[in-house]
Amino acid sequence: QETFTLKMAETWGPNFPIFGEATKSMAEMAEKMSNGRLKIRIDSANKHKAPFGVFDMVKAGQYDMGHSASYYWKGKVPNTLFFTSMPFGMTALEQYAWFYYGDGMDLMQEVYEPHNMLSFPGGNTGVQMGGWFRKEIKSLEDLEGLKMRIPGFAGEVFAEVGVNPTNIAPGELYTALERNTIDATEWVGPALDLRLGFQQIADYYYTGWHEPATELQFLVNKRVWEKLPADLQEILRVSMRTAAYDMLIQSQHENAKAWASIKKEHPNVQIKTFPDDVFQAMYAANKKLLKEAAGNDELAGRIVKSLESYQEDSRAYTNIADRAYLNTMAEVEGDE
Amino acid sequence: MIGMVMFGVALLMLMLGFPVAFTFGGVALFFGVFAEGMDLFAFMPYRIMSVMQNTTLMAVPLFIFMGVVLQRTRLAEQLLTSMGRLFGGLPGGLAISTILVGALLAASTGVVGASVVAMGLISLPVMLAHKYDKRLATGTICAAGTLGQIVPPSIILIILGDVLGLPVGDLFKAAVIPGVVLIGLYIVYILIMTRLKPETAPAMPDDSGLSRKQEIVTALLAIIPPLALIVVVLGSIFSGIATPTESSALGGVGAVVLALIYRQFSFQMVWDAARDTVKVTAMVFAILIGATAFSMVFSYTGGDYLLEEWMLQLPGEKWGFIILAMLVILVLGFFIDFVEISFIIVPILAPVAEAMGINMLWFAILIAMNLQTSFLTPPFGFSLFYLKGVAPPNVQTTDIYKGVLPFILLQMLVLALIVIFPEWFGMSSSY
Amino acid sequence: MRWIIKLDDGLAKLSTLCGWVACVALILMTLNVFYDVVARYVFRDVSIGMQEMEWHLYSVVFLLGIPYALRTDGHVRVDVFYTHWSDRTKAWINLLGALIFVMPFAYLIGTYGYSFAVDSFQMGEGSGDPGGLPHRWIIKSLIPFSAFFIATSGLGMATHALRVMSGEKTYEEKHSAEGLA
Ligand code: NA
Ligand code: NA
Repeated sequence: QETFTLKMAETWGPNFPIFGEATKSMAEMAEKMSNGRLKIRIDSANKHKAPFGVFDMVKAGQYDMGHSASYYWKGKVPNTLFFTSMPFGMTALEQYAWFYYGDGMDLMQEVYEPHNMLSFPGGNTGVQMGGWFRKEIKSLEDLEGLKMRIPGFAGEVFAEVGVNPTNIAPGELYTALERNTIDATEWVGPALDLRLGFQQIADYYYTGWHEPATELQFLVNKRVWEKLPADLQEILRVSMRTAAYDMLIQSQHENAKAWASIKKEHPNVQIKTFPDDVFQAMYAANKKLLKEAAGNDELAGRIVKSLESYQEDSRAYTNIADRAYLNTMAEVEGDE
Repeated sequence: MIGMVMFGVALLMLMLGFPVAFTFGGVALFFGVFAEGMDLFAFMPYRIMSVMQNTTLMAVPLFIFMGVVLQRTRLAEQLLTSMGRLFGGLPGGLAISTILVGALLAASTGVVGASVVAMGLISLPVMLAHKYDKRLATGTICAAGTLGQIVPPSIILIILGDVLGLPVGDLFKAAVIPGVVLIGLYIVYILIMTRLKPETAPAMPDDSGLSRKQEIVTALLAIIPPLALIVVVLGSIFSGIATPTESSALGGVGAVVLALIYRQFSFQMVWDAARDTVKVTAMVFAILIGATAFSMVFSYTGGDYLLEEWMLQLPGEKWGFIILAMLVILVLGFFIDFVEISFIIVPILAPVAEAMGINMLWFAILIAMNLQTSFLTPPFGFSLFYLKGVAPPNVQTTDIYKGVLPFILLQMLVLALIVIFPEWFGMSSSY
Repeated sequence: MRWIIKLDDGLAKLSTLCGWVACVALILMTLNVFYDVVARYVFRDVSIGMQEMEWHLYSVVFLLGIPYALRTDGHVRVDVFYTHWSDRTKAWINLLGALIFVMPFAYLIGTYGYSFAVDSFQMGEGSGDPGGLPHRWIIKSLIPFSAFFIATSGLGMATHALRVMSGEKTYEEKHSAEGLA
């Protein structure tokens, strides 16, 4: 029987926790389930040297597969933005429901089709934290002129309310924050933030709003996909779906662990939520920018509409289920 | 296996003398196309693009520009004359002032060539005229000029920061103590030499006609400009006002301001400095791109795994690996320069060091100390060439070779000290 | 021989032009980075567009500097033996090196760089960050341009070698990598 070896480029460096584990577990599953007929060889960023070239390299066929995040391609294909996470958007569970049972997968495929690729959900981080701030944000004025590392759409929302979004390479982030080159930075969540050491230099850790459910992505070159026999296609699809969902579970586990250790070892760190006026202004800015984006082209309009209506329906249920339960718990146990 | 053969072929081809960058690129091309096909090179634009977006390496042209402009301000000349007057009256005084000026220039820029040439033109004739031993004089100048590569800011440290993924500012900080220790040892060595063999470095009669007080004042005045630059550049990095790349631009503009103050400024001067900078920058980045192609073929043909596994099984584990790494760098340093070593050899060593739990900052400083030695080791030590280029004809190449030997030994001594007692230098060897 | 001399002079001018553009870019880049630091402290202003302009200029510096340095013999050589060889031997090495190493290398980077830039153009790629620069294909097309000029400089290296072989020119006695960091 024919053996297939697929080369996969990931955006992450070698041994990158959680994200890198998702690709490794996907490759292991595929190989075991196919009894060795489907092998996936993973090249990390240190090998292909083009962390943000994954889209192009899979499109051109230099790699058969990729693991990255859809919003990184926003500069190339604006509509890829919507498939990672949107400010004030859905939670991981809601978003997975949109992908697998709503229109998510179909719309995503419509975006990637012209580029000769298939895109699949690639693992979720859960709610990302709003970032590390060295000064407390007490009102909208405190954001005026604030220098913050925050990329993408959320950066544009922040820019609307007076923040100066800046670009800093991840390797220089800690130093930049420590030395006031920037006033604030967002990264991911406790597990990954802890590694960069922000807890040592910033006291205010803000709760999330900008990436409530960041979904990574698997990319597969279409010709490669079509060459695979049907059983291997199915094995690959199931491996990707399992690895993706498993990453969300692992994120929960690792974040909880990391948060416990930050609380214990860095009592200086205070959890904060932006004040009301900030959220009101950002919410309005987000609505406005989203409307502009939706007006850009027909497909963008359909995606935004699908996202908004799915979120509305899904949230109505989340509110009477998860939210009601958490509220009850908070009341029973008292605020902590 | 292909990787190893390619390595051998590349080293042989290098000896023919064709530009290093394109020798690496060309050899990689033949082996790559042979082993993996043309399409392997479709990766090259992505790799070049990631160099283009690499803001760490952007500091390289900026620091070179600063150094070249500084050279044209005649700052080195002023420093050498006034320091010479101040210390020349002591036995060995001229050599010590050369070391001190070398240290000041080193801390205000990272350009070795400029320092060696300036000191070779000014300090060497004075030392020779006052009956200094040729070897001591030339060795001192080469060693003092080379300090620019270990004392921050330095091009080696920037490149290592990029290759090893370490913040350049941290590397600069970590290099301060080793740099100071090295300077101290150079001075101690000269003092001991002048005690043991007073005829190698006699005192210079005072004929400047200046009073002691005037001498001190002129020396102080000459020290202010480089100090100001050191405060701007290193100060802005260490205090966190600016990233190393940004501070290199501050330094470049600062050097132009100094040129204005020294009345050396002209648009032609800035233009010439820009041209020199472009040439040196082009050379460094050509090697980077050639090395990228080379490493790409090396790693896609599996060479990196092979070497990695072999190095992980070395006897003596961590220490066996450190000794091997240092020996390899030292020996290659005789033939090829620090840019190739940093871009081709260090990326192969880094993952092994990481897997062994070695503190990468410490490892980087070891490599930087070792690479610095390559500036002094014949036949390909840059400092030796620069000095030979400006030395009077009665100074033989062999004089210079023999002259740098004690300084090479001192550098290796400091390297050994950092290996054995990292805590003396404010570091630790493992995580 | 006459047309070789003409071609060689023309190629030399092309390389000089690359050097000129690279020098301008270097000066602009220094000012750009300087301005960005000052703006951050003095005007409390950060512009991602200006920050991106930094690496655009820096790319011009080294991508056009490389062909320039090739013509002016600014690239490092291992000259343990090279310096001792006759001009004729040097010319042979430079001729063969230019034809076997430089030109094919430039050809491969040029071809793949071309499709890299075209792809970017077709997608209308721009910066993904707020306030970033649009039209990324412009800076990406610098890669095939650089490859083209490396090829012409390589050809210039070959024509120059032919002139040296004919005895009409000599190689200047000069250590490579003058002024290296
Ligand atoms: Na994030
Ligand atoms: Na230096």
